[in-house]
Amino acid sequence: MTSAAIFLTLVLLAFIAFVTVRQRSLASVSGDTSKLHSLPRHYGYYAAVCALIPGLLIFFVWVITGKNIIEGLVISGLPDGLSAQYQEQASLVLNRIRLAVENPASSEKHPDILAAAQQFHALYVRGIWATFVLAVASGVGGLVFANYKTNPDFRARNSFERVLTILLILSSVIAIITTVGIVASLLFESLRFFQQVSVVDFVFGLHWSPQTALRADQVASAGAFGAVPLFTGTLLISLLAMMVAGPIGLMSAVYLTQYASARTRKIAKPVLEVLAGVPTVVYGFFAALTVAPFFRDLGEAIGVEIASESALAAGFVMGIMIIPFVSSLSDDAITAVPKSLKDGSLALGATRSETITNVILPAALPGIVGAFLLAISRAVGETMIVVMAAGMQPNLTANPFEAVTTVTVQIVALLTGDQEFDSAKTLSAFALGLALFLSTMVLNVFALRIVRKYREVYD
Amino acid sequence: MLDMSTKVDPMTEIRTPKMAAKDVNVFYGDNHAVKGISLDLYRDEVTALIGPSGCGKSTFLRCLNRMNDTVATCRVEGNITLDGDDIYDPKIDVVQLRARVGMVFQKPNPFPKSIYDNIAYGPRIHGLARERADLDEIVATSLEKAGLWNEVKDRLDSPGTALSGGQQQRLCIARAIAVNPEVILMDEPCSALDPIATAKVEALIDELKGRYAIIIVTHSMQQAARISQKTAFFHMGDLVEHGDTTQIFTAPKEERTRDYITGRFG
Amino acid sequence: MSNTRDFEPTDWKSPEMQARTRKRYRRDRTFRAMGFSAVILAGLFLVLLIGRIFQDGAMGFMQTSIDLDVTFSEELLGDPRAMDAEAFEEQVRQANMSRLLDAALTAQFPEVTSRRDRRALIRIISGGAREQLRNMVLETPAIVGTTKTVRLLAADDIDQLRKGKIDANEPEANRKVKDQELGWYNKLVEEDRVSLNFHTRFFTSGDSRDPELAGIWGATVGSAITLVVTLLIAFPVGVLTAIYLEEFAPQNRLTDIIEININNLAAVPSIVFGLLGLAVFLGVMHLPRSAPLVGGLTLALMTLPTIIIAARASIKAVPPSIRDAARGLGASPMQVVFHHVVPLAMPGILTGTIIGMAQALGETAPLLMIGMVAFIVDIPGGFTDAATALPVQIFLWADSPERAFVEKTSAAIMVLLTFLIAMNGLAIWLRQKFERQW
Repeated sequence: MTSAAIFLTLVLLAFIAFVTVRQRSLASVSGDTSKLHSLPRHYGYYAAVCALIPGLLIFFVWVITGKNIIEGLVISGLPDGLSAQYQEQASLVLNRIRLAVENPASSEKHPDILAAAQQFHALYVRGIWATFVLAVASGVGGLVFANYKTNPDFRARNSFERVLTILLILSSVIAIITTVGIVASLLFESLRFFQQVSVVDFVFGLHWSPQTALRADQVASAGAFGAVPLFTGTLLISLLAMMVAGPIGLMSAVYLTQYASARTRKIAKPVLEVLAGVPTVVYGFFAALTVAPFFRDLGEAIGVEIASESALAAGFVMGIMIIPFVSSLSDDAITAVPKSLKDGSLALGATRSETITNVILPAALPGIVGAFLLAISRAVGETMIVVMAAGMQPNLTANPFEAVTTVTVQIVALLTGDQEFDSAKTLSAFALGLALFLSTMVLNVFALRIVRKYREVYD
Repeated sequence: MLDMSTKVDPMTEIRTPKMAAKDVNVFYGDNHAVKGISLDLYRDEVTALIGPSGCGKSTFLRCLNRMNDTVATCRVEGNITLDGDDIYDPKIDVVQLRARVGMVFQKPNPFPKSIYDNIAYGPRIHGLARERADLDEIVATSLEKAGLWNEVKDRLDSPGTALSGGQQQRLCIARAIAVNPEVILMDEPCSALDPIATAKVEALIDELKGRYAIIIVTHSMQQAARISQKTAFFHMGDLVEHGDTTQIFTAPKEERTRDYITGRFG
Repeated sequence: MSNTRDFEPTDWKSPEMQARTRKRYRRDRTFRAMGFSAVILAGLFLVLLIGRIFQDGAMGFMQTSIDLDVTFSEELLGDPRAMDAEAFEEQVRQANMSRLLDAALTAQFPEVTSRRDRRALIRIISGGAREQLRNMVLETPAIVGTTKTVRLLAADDIDQLRKGKIDANEPEANRKVKDQELGWYNKLVEEDRVSLNFHTRFFTSGDSRDPELAGIWGATVGSAITLVVTLLIAFPVGVLTAIYLEEFAPQNRLTDIIEININNLAAVPSIVFGLLGLAVFLGVMHLPRSAPLVGGLTLALMTLPTIIIAARASIKAVPPSIRDAARGLGASPMQVVFHHVVPLAMPGILTGTIIGMAQALGETAPLLMIGMVAFIVDIPGGFTDAATALPVQIFLWADSPERAFVEKTSAAIMVLLTFLIAMNGLAIWLRQKFERQW
């Protein structure tokens, strides 16, 4: 028995419900559908929903909580020796049990763990069968219920549509659940991190070296979790990116809206869109393979030492990536400036550049500021370019020729490869994620508000 | 020249027009919007262009300071002169032309800057003031001429967009005056204003008459009758009739003009 | 007449004024040139990026082979006629195919005798050659006892040498291919035994530590399965949400919150979705690590805002008159929406969905978080098999030290870009074909 089988059984049951109840509704009026309140298929839909929903709910409860409950049971049933160990090394014991369950032929020798694995397996099989029986029973129950309710006066369509409305609302709520899920998971894991490392050390600490002891009995360095070098590194790279994307993006928006012919626009806009559509991993590869060596050689040629994983290379390529973003948002801001202002300036004998710098850009300024803020938030959250082109050394520096590391690079470094769920090292990634989420969120909300206010002025 | 022309009987004297259009055709893509119009415009007169919507009067007006240049599909043929110089001659400089031929738009369009900066914008870009005191003087004089000085002299730093609609339109007129134009084009300057503000703008136009050649496009025949000395009636891109305002409104020669001013169409 | 002063007439023809005007025009031209260079620069970056990838990637689809005369020795493989099929197969599977290679190379280079040199010699052939020979024998047992010229994959360094990526003129110390190997290589070239062929294996195999054996099929299948999950979740949920918000939602706080939420979610960095996936799908729900199911779920949450926003826009574009007409015929609100509005809005919804899917296809960071970054040789066959995705494969190869992986990475990028261009092209085509002016 597998989860997929339960799901398929439920779908089959829903189909049976649809067919039988539809037939029954037809039979109840001996084929004269005008006597029915709703169309026969509505009775069928209603029955299918009745058969499917309760079973699905039971199924989801099992998928989400099943293994957790069983693990709890298994852990509480462990012999005392292991439980004591469990207090200290929760994930380790659990992982060994899990491994033993998944791979019975594994090298696990500890008898208690093997026993626990067997118990886990037995409980799991029992649980999944229980779920199957419960889900199918509720499905059949739903079918019988719908069958019983089917008579010519039953307003099947309205009932079915009520269910549909609930489904619509549930779908919309998923967006909220996602946000809540993000906040909750980041907060929860971060709080566990902050039990081990103080918030002040994290936010203001100048030293980042998250290597902690692998086993509890090792007397190794406790690791340092001062995130300031990561924040400054992120800022430095974002700043460099904006120094590339800001002028180029804004000036190309100005050119395309104010100077370019329709034909030039027709060519240039898709080029910018393609630039926006290139996956970030491709930019990262380009940065690491082409741009970083280029800057390093350039530095050698002019006598400046530029690290091969310099902030400059990562920032520069990130800037290229953000150009289309800045340009299209600035384009929107500039086109939102009423034409009458531009005409007023031109009619006074201003040249186009005078009109742009004195009238159009000041009028579009809030929109452009919003565009820049959104672009910065994009740069702060960008991952692949910096993972591939920026370094891992948490240098506290403002020198773009040196290697720096960023928040996103560290999250990736901390969470790829072998990891345990409870160590400060792993948990610190979530604290970094929380910082990242909050800062981009603030930037976005702020930027969107500026842009919206600005739109209201001219609408 | 100003003094001379006011003394001579306009019917007999051969005056040189400030601006002259000869056989002007305008096309928007394939659309022939203005068809072979010839019209002389004099310095001491207010000329009103009237006619139903889409008759080409605004298009013609926008040819006089080459604002149609900003429309990519627009093509102008024929000959328009300012003091005898062809304004479509490649040697003519659009920037200077537009400074000499000012324009006021249908909807007041003050820049999102202070009242002072709105007026000072033109003189600044053209370099008309050598120092700050000159600029202050230009701003003050322009606002006085536009009859706005007393209303705004204490709040020159507040934004131009904060003024009422009528004040905004007079601010735009002052802004045009500040670059010391010779001709002022007005494209339905009162259509977005209430009657009281309209009266003020009309009074202002009357005051400005004589210093500037004023050409005004208007929908309102009463307005044309009130403020203009010459009237030109446009219909479907043609200049149907042109002459003294009193003559046009009392004894039109053309049937189409008569139908329009008596309200048969338009 | 008012008593205000008149200005002095401006002398536009004065030399100062003329000079000033010329200067202003010059400034305008400079400004315009700056704008134009910005556009050109952006275009240039794109050309550089694509050009660089193509320059490297074109060779990634080719692979060097070496033709060797291999004698399929009966002694090693057994006689297929003398033994039953199973026993023969077993013997072939157990047989040390290196000995065949060794013998073939010895025949080719009789002068190489020392054990050390022979070990170096066998390394000019790809490690995958043994498998290739074994498969040949298993397919046609009759081959045993004969000598055949077999086209074997060359090792990655020889491949790079053939492609000119390793310069034979450099001093030996700086070169990965030593003089000795270079001599062998040149001898093979002289005998016309070295050839450069289209590398089909690149499209049919999974990942490998050896560049000449690595392929993108595993990652492509992984991406496909992941996208199926993403589509199955994000499309219905996104469309239903859009329908609710546009057609049924009352104007209240909850609706406002949902709206703000969706706009903000659209701007949350993708890696945060990865953290969510890690914490919830792996941490709480204990779904398997590295599985396309989890990747698809994570990407679905990430893509959802894109689809919702696009779907809302196209539902909004359906004119109210259509709803009024349907309502006038007695349709219930649900029927109005599902029979009339949604079908009319569908092209726009599909366009948005395809664009969202293209975004999901190019996304890497969240997949790293949920462990789809592992080294996986097998082609994934289901939603819970360990798998990787195309962009992650690119990331992994880009990180590999072997020089030959550079062109493999570029080639994989070309494949990924092809998919993305096809998807976006489809979206543009849909938009143009069904674009309707109401």
